[in-house]
Amino acid sequence: MIKLKALRLGFDTGFTLAVDELNIREGEVFAIIGPNGAGKTTLLNAMAMLRRPENGSLTIMGRDALAPENRLFLRRAMSVVFSQPYLVNDTVFANVALPLKLRGRVDRAAVDAALELFRITHLKDRNAKTLSQGESHRAALARAFVTEPKLLLLDEPFGSLDERVKESITRDLRRVMKDSGAAAVLVTQDQEGALTLCDTLAVLVNGRLLQQGEPQEIFSRPASKEVADFVGVETILAGRVVSNQDNLCTVEACGKTLMAVSGCAAGDSVFFCLRPEDVSISLNADAGGRRNNFKSVVAAVAPWGLEYKVELDCGFTAQAAVTKQLVDGLGLKPGREVYASFKATAAHLIKRAK
Amino acid sequence: MEFIFEGLRKGLHLILSGNPEIFAITRLSLSVSLLATALAVLAGVPLGAWIAVKKFPLKKLLIALVNTGMGLPPVVAGLVVMLFLARSGPLGFLNWLYTPKGMVIAQFIIALPIITALSISAMQSVDPKFYNQVLTLGASDWQAIRVCLKEMRLTIAAAVMAGFGRLVAEVGAVMIVGGNIRHQTRMLTTATVMETQMGNFDMAIAIGLVLLTVGFMVNLALTLIQQNKVLAR
Repeated sequence: MIKLKALRLGFDTGFTLAVDELNIREGEVFAIIGPNGAGKTTLLNAMAMLRRPENGSLTIMGRDALAPENRLFLRRAMSVVFSQPYLVNDTVFANVALPLKLRGRVDRAAVDAALELFRITHLKDRNAKTLSQGESHRAALARAFVTEPKLLLLDEPFGSLDERVKESITRDLRRVMKDSGAAAVLVTQDQEGALTLCDTLAVLVNGRLLQQGEPQEIFSRPASKEVADFVGVETILAGRVVSNQDNLCTVEACGKTLMAVSGCAAGDSVFFCLRPEDVSISLNADAGGRRNNFKSVVAAVAPWGLEYKVELDCGFTAQAAVTKQLVDGLGLKPGREVYASFKATAAHLIKRAK
Repeated sequence: MEFIFEGLRKGLHLILSGNPEIFAITRLSLSVSLLATALAVLAGVPLGAWIAVKKFPLKKLLIALVNTGMGLPPVVAGLVVMLFLARSGPLGFLNWLYTPKGMVIAQFIIALPIITALSISAMQSVDPKFYNQVLTLGASDWQAIRVCLKEMRLTIAAAVMAGFGRLVAEVGAVMIVGGNIRHQTRMLTTATVMETQMGNFDMAIAIGLVLLTVGFMVNLALTLIQQNKVLAR
């Protein structure tokens, strides 16, 4: 669907977006996540042919997207949704009908169907400027789907919406995307939003594509410290592999001995990575078969979404995500002595330069 | 003091009695200025939008020139057009000097920079992200400009009013190019100047009142159209 090679795009500020290779298959939902200023929007704008790269090749649906004569054809095969809906000062119906009108088509049935898809039929005669934020986003999505696009580009589509509205719109969007079978590129900071929609995930940091693959793979096996940092691996310890027996590595870090399942060889310098949701806390020493078990002191307890984040001092600092029930049940508060345990399979090693 | 009230009274009488000469002059004034405004809108709005959207060398210089053109003295425009239309001038073969056609051309030249400059600034006040969104909806460059201009219709309507207001009140260009010939090229403004100089204050006041009324009526019509498009809040 989209093939991108050796793309380079520079800014006056000195920032450069450089992507060696990116392939997006037909029907695939491809999410690109990364922190603010990583170049996500720039990459999406290049795919939307709104910014011309200085170097590289970009092929969309088998056509050279950098050739001006292909631009209009390709734009008419795709739809782009930005973080703001950008509706024109006219009725909702006229807004949704606009892409068809620009293609010289009048198809009231298609417009009605698109309105129905995003459940805004009752708003069709309202002026678009009088809509609520959530309604505006629904109108923008209906407008994006009215042409039955083969490719959808979504840039932080619901950045400004509150959680509840975002969730309901995301649910509708996922349903419509599944039914349409269109390929989609989603660019966002919102990792949860990306996970609910995408088949493939890529991490863009500082203008470079650091890793791409299955979302679960990236979240549990980040390829580099930058990726680990961004995808919420909170415990990252610099250490050294002491031995490797059948892929069970013994790692020394911060004066402690830790176990991890990995292909790293003895002597390798590594980052030992651990996600907060993989750490268990208990009051007794029985680790229940987990190979890593440390006597620890609770350093801090703080709310974290619907759960709590507990900072543990185990000789190194580890973060654990636990339920409110557990915090109350174990009486977790700073100073409390507990045992922190985690499986060797939950830990992940990243090789680092010595 | 007395002659002012006397002039006002006679002037009103002339208008209310339907003086045919005043009506003929009014009709000519309106046709010339409206036609010149319409032509300037047809040329200036797309031109301004295009200048605003496209990137090209010396763009800022061109915009500065257009902005300067907004203050073009009508007498200068009139002089240039007259030189071109004069019998020995490059366009002398048209025989348009001292005709309404010649006056339309002169007024068109006065209105064009006004409409173009205001269209440039209207188009530049469109959020570039909005423009990009319209492009991604499948618009060609011209379609995108059309959608944005429609979005800026209030500002464009204001530009049209500014252009027309300037033309209907302008005297220098039509005087030079038209020559203020009775029954042929006499406009409301040129007639006012002439009657005043001849001491016919009642006629001058009558024509002045018509001039004010005409300006008001046209702007009222445009304002009503403009404000109808304003979203009820």
